Amino acid sequence: MRIAVCLKQVPDPATVEVDPLTAALDTRRLLYIASPADTAALEVALQLAGAEGHVSALCVGPPAADAVLRLALAAGATEARRLWTPFLPLQAPAQTALLLAAWLQRGEAPDLVLCGTRSSDQGSGQLPALLAEFLEWPVVCDVTQITLEGDLARVQRRLDRGAREELEVRLPAVLAVEAGIARLRHASLTGLMRAERAAIPVSELDDLGLEPADLAFPAATTRMVTPPRPRTRPIFTPDSTRPAHERITQIITAGVTRKSGKVLEGPPDQMAEVVVEFLRERGFV
Amino acid sequence: MVSIPLEERMRTVRFKVDDRPHIVVNAAVCNNCSVRACVYVCPANLFVPLDDGGILFNYEECFECGTCYIACNQEGAIQWSYPRGGYGVTFREA
Amino acid sequence: MAFLSKEASLALVQRVHRLIGIKNGSTPHGAPQPRRQRSAPRPGAEHFDVIVVGAGPAGSAAALVAARAGLKVLLLERGEYPGSKNVSGAAFYGSAILNELIPNWWEQAPVERYLTRRVLAFMTAETSVAIDFRTTRFAEPPYNGFSILRPKFDRWFADQAVAAGAFLLNAAVVDEVLWEDDQVVGVRVRRDEGDLRADVVIACDGANSFLAKNAGLQREFHAHEMSLGVKEVLELDEGAIRERFHLHDNDGLAIEYIGAITEEVSGGGFLYTNRDSLSLGVIGQISSLAEHRRRPYELLETFKRHPSVAPLVRGGRVREYSAHVIPEAGWNMLPKLYTGGMLVAGDAAALCFVAGLYLEGINYAIQSGMAAGEAAVAAHQERDFSARSLARYVERLRARHVLTDFASYRHAPGLVNSPRLQNLYPELIAAGAEQVFRVNGGPKRKLLPIALDTLRRANISPVHVLQDAWQAGRSFGW
Repeated sequence: MRIAVCLKQVPDPATVEVDPLTAALDTRRLLYIASPADTAALEVALQLAGAEGHVSALCVGPPAADAVLRLALAAGATEARRLWTPFLPLQAPAQTALLLAAWLQRGEAPDLVLCGTRSSDQGSGQLPALLAEFLEWPVVCDVTQITLEGDLARVQRRLDRGAREELEVRLPAVLAVEAGIARLRHASLTGLMRAERAAIPVSELDDLGLEPADLAFPAATTRMVTPPRPRTRPIFTPDSTRPAHERITQIITAGVTRKSGKVLEGPPDQMAEVVVEFLRERGFV
Repeated sequence: MVSIPLEERMRTVRFKVDDRPHIVVNAAVCNNCSVRACVYVCPANLFVPLDDGGILFNYEECFECGTCYIACNQEGAIQWSYPRGGYGVTFREA
Repeated sequence: MAFLSKEASLALVQRVHRLIGIKNGSTPHGAPQPRRQRSAPRPGAEHFDVIVVGAGPAGSAAALVAARAGLKVLLLERGEYPGSKNVSGAAFYGSAILNELIPNWWEQAPVERYLTRRVLAFMTAETSVAIDFRTTRFAEPPYNGFSILRPKFDRWFADQAVAAGAFLLNAAVVDEVLWEDDQVVGVRVRRDEGDLRADVVIACDGANSFLAKNAGLQREFHAHEMSLGVKEVLELDEGAIRERFHLHDNDGLAIEYIGAITEEVSGGGFLYTNRDSLSLGVIGQISSLAEHRRRPYELLETFKRHPSVAPLVRGGRVREYSAHVIPEAGWNMLPKLYTGGMLVAGDAAALCFVAGLYLEGINYAIQSGMAAGEAAVAAHQERDFSARSLARYVERLRARHVLTDFASYRHAPGLVNSPRLQNLYPELIAAGAEQVFRVNGGPKRKLLPIALDTLRRANISPVHVLQDAWQAGRSFGW
């Protein structure tokens, strides 16, 4: 089993301090960690690969990001590689995915790519899908459980409101896991020393067969949409003529309509029609 | 404002919390202790006396200074060790 | 510095041992603990010439010295990076010492300000009387002292040891030393496969001194021997700092406060200027905090509200709060400094010099670390790591004036923590000064009547004052 894990170095949220007057971030006070969903992915990878497996840790980032790769090596990753180019714009999921895909397509391709479903800093959650797109592999996000059966992965993914979905995916695939599903093991001393001594190889654009121009994605790939202000809801006032326990019941229950979902069935075209109509009615499109 | 409550002051400190406590307080011993030095001396106010005579201890925001076990005159009430490597408090300026 | 011939130095060591009462490396008051369960290293443990536990100033100095001599050195740090768990004031008065190791170190190290002004302030609740010392002579290399921030300074210093060839391993906490017969032969890191072998283990694991206790070299501490320091770093504009404290470009000041600043608790306060922040805090004897049921952070608030402190810290934004213990009993709590295969240095050896006028530790940490490193190197040259061979550590400490400082000031901690010195004399000084300076139309009295009058009002016999003066003389004067 060959598994590649993609790790991102992010600021520890506990060290993010915003100046109350200027709203500027105090970058001198930041400490960096590996994004929690990514370390969960790493732990899952180590468990799935077992003693015989091969886990390679990848990270797109500047030299300081070697720290997350050493963390992976200490925990038991077979090898680590950092991908980097000074041409990389800030907050660039598409470019990051391109670098990762370029590297993964060069050598012996892994059977599985694991990553966090979203990073704890930007958290746009775009990377898994973009990476899968570049690799032309299937992708499942928000994964909470993975079991492997041959070249088939049975995965459970999280849906809204506590629901879960079970899927089967044929490998190779990109699986993006939730942060809480595994806690990275405490490395052994041998692992820690091996990681500290390791030289972390770096691949730049040349090594990946890319050119700076390849990173020039159309500028407007993301559009910032400010969500409409939520409508103010009148505060429910109970009927003052009623006895106290009834008023309390009214406060607890009345005036609130539960949100409900609707399950559509039928041919895809018709269902799409209904969805679009629904969104149009509510003014979203 | 220069004077701020302890909670706010504690927020300036970075803690990497392990899932296992590095300090264990023996409630049986604490129940018989009238001095309760730990409640007063802890710079992070982590020892909270309970109504039933016990002591509640939170290890998460511990400075790892050692004051509590030095002050604790009841032999064996506080079992103290540093957190596992890489966990615990991290000062940036101190 | 040129070392003495072997015979001469041995004679010197014996004389020093007699002078300061050392027998076979043990100190007079530190009765070592009963022997604990001893483990041997598991087979296959990696071997180092020297393992230094703790990458603070003592550990980094020891690792640097040993690595420069070509030894295979492992420097273990339990934090995420060196300095990440270290707290002190921090005024560093060991510039000349560090200059021996790293010439012109201040040009590359993260220092805040060089200290040209030192103030000793006696406080009552409303009044303060201060001795204000200032000299431009401390503004010239190698400088006398610097204000530093430990997480930055310690990290830099550990990097110097790494540059010299030491192997630094962070996130490794050591719980015990490993033995073969009566010789320490390694350490056990709290991780799987955590055993490591070493010819010499240098314990620089800080004030709690767990390794020395584990090895039976140190006893448990009493609450009156340890103080707790709580501290804040307050952000303040660079210009405001210069104006407020009357400073030029990069020079700085250190203020030490004695008296009612800690109310009835035995202790003191400090304030140091950094580049764009202030470090200030209070220190309280742990037994005294417990006895008076005072919470340390409340004392810190009282301190900041004192009329002579409040205007200095006005407008400062709290950047970080921290706390650390300080071994205060000096000579009386020194551990046995070595045993076969092991040395103890820095705060772990209680080499912290706290005595009213003095609040020093980093300089002694570096000196003892260097001495331990040198002793380890010399032991390697002879391939003899027995207690006998490592005894030369004490000789090196003597040569660096470390042990002699602690021996000659051995009465100071008791005096400094006495209630009269803590609260009464600051009160007297303040009251006396007030009588001298107050103009109210009455007759101008001379100083002696004022002094006697003040004593009478405070209900102290002049005999006590003479006794304390004798004590002070014995502690500080001669």
